Amino acid sequence: MTPIGRLFHSIGIFILKRRIGQLIALFFRTVASLFDKSHNFKSDARNIIMQTYFTGVEIFIPLFIVATLFGTVVIINVLMRLDALGFSNNIGSLMVVVIIRELSPILTAFLIAGRSGSSLTTYIGGMVIDSEVDALATMGINPIRYLVMPSVIGGTIATIIMNIIFSASAIGAGFIVIKGIIYLTSILHNLPIHVSLNLSNLQISWDYLSTEILKALTKWDFFLAIIKPLVFGIIITVNACYQALNIKRDIRQVPKATSRSVITSFLYIVFADVALSLFYFISYMNTLSTII
Amino acid sequence: MLDEALRLEDIYLSTSELSGTLFSVPRAVSYFENIRSSESNADYQLIAGANLRLKLGETICIGGPSGKGKSAILRMIAGLARPLKGHIYYFGEYIPAERLDALEIAKRNVGYVLQNAALISNLRVADNIALPLHYHKMGSDEEISKKVNMAMDLMRVRNFANMFPHELSVGMQKRVAIARSWAMDPKLLLMDEPTAGLDNYNRRNLLPLIDNMRTMFKTSIIIVTHDLMIAKDLDCNLVFLHKKKLTEPHSFDYWLHSDSEISKDQFRDLQSISPNT
Repeated sequence: MTPIGRLFHSIGIFILKRRIGQLIALFFRTVASLFDKSHNFKSDARNIIMQTYFTGVEIFIPLFIVATLFGTVVIINVLMRLDALGFSNNIGSLMVVVIIRELSPILTAFLIAGRSGSSLTTYIGGMVIDSEVDALATMGINPIRYLVMPSVIGGTIATIIMNIIFSASAIGAGFIVIKGIIYLTSILHNLPIHVSLNLSNLQISWDYLSTEILKALTKWDFFLAIIKPLVFGIIITVNACYQALNIKRDIRQVPKATSRSVITSFLYIVFADVALSLFYFISYMNTLSTII
Repeated sequence: MLDEALRLEDIYLSTSELSGTLFSVPRAVSYFENIRSSESNADYQLIAGANLRLKLGETICIGGPSGKGKSAILRMIAGLARPLKGHIYYFGEYIPAERLDALEIAKRNVGYVLQNAALISNLRVADNIALPLHYHKMGSDEEISKKVNMAMDLMRVRNFANMFPHELSVGMQKRVAIARSWAMDPKLLLMDEPTAGLDNYNRRNLLPLIDNMRTMFKTSIIIVTHDLMIAKDLDCNLVFLHKKKLTEPHSFDYWLHSDSEISKDQFRDLQSISPNT
């Protein structure tokens, strides 16, 4: 090898020896496996739809409950604090920042990492232990294509859809829950309903809330509502598959790998979230410079 | 050479290569050059300096005491474990170490029947056999289903086509695994303990099938087994793994009557019941 070749070779080996390098390598191999010679659209589509169903539909109820309750808490706090401070015309932008930008992608990703990421690790890890992955490879079936690729694509699609559902149900169902709370308190304290509305600073209508939120949405929000869950979904599924494929032939390693997969997914998601928040920072600086 | 199916030259294999899968583990380009020195970790070495040559259409049995790396050799030939040192030729073609993995070797029509069958547990028996055929698009749907039915008929598992692997016994799983490998038309078939867990009736059914494969399809077969009578029934050569090396191939009768240490260990019972001695 030439000296330059040796330099690049040692850099490559250095990166590939690290876990993050192997994760990125696995991601690229997953993408590359899409263009394998032996692609079979029908069975691939079936696997991907199964994975999307498994990741998305079966997590719907816990996700809906979490979204609704978090939405309620955020709306209550935003309305009461902002009214007290006298910024009641900023309700929409604050809701957008808290729910659509931050809470929804992160909590969706955490829920999916805790449920689908962990089950993906146990599923593939069990196959590794039973040497089914070896059997696939000796039959010429690329395990990355057969197992990892449908999980990554299906999991990512499900994360994107679930993120939209989370945002919608946090605002929509959260609003309904608030109305219910107001109604209940007025019954409990034997007050006419308009009195209790006025007392609690919660006299918002759906018209007002939705127009405020729609006004506050920028093109960056729509863009990142797709990009963030896309990145998080890829992180969760690739990390889960990576942890599973690296299990040594020992059944006790499966639960260890599962917990490691969930915890490291959480970590990577938060790091990626910080990195993606730079988009907002850039757009903020742009608007600031136009104002100045 | 054109008439050879497999050639192993001076193979070294260590136990540390056997754990885990080979996926997402990096491999240096100059893997073979900077091998750890072979003397320093002698304790971990399973195989040191093994040589083997298999002609096309030839069948060979590998015997030897358990725990000495017979299955490890098969795993290595199938590409699931990397040798520390040495050269492997498939059908006269040398595959360098950095490309030596199971997918690359499977492209060269090498089939492998694992010791524990390793059927995909969420697929039914028929789907298990059809899976590689569908993946590699070996024919239309009718052709594939015909082929699957033929494989199931051969191994007598047709009645269990709609069952899941966990509903079958170990011996039945093994027959399904052999059917799955057979359906792929391998040119070199590696079998790890094919008769373990099979009753006498099915064992007697399996042996003509193996015989058929090598006469009709010119399949080269390597069988790792404790059941040395297979070598006699198939009339093939026996190789023993002895002192981390593979011995020269010799016929069953040669080993039976030879005076070597291996014969004394492995053929003691057979010698006493054999009428010739």
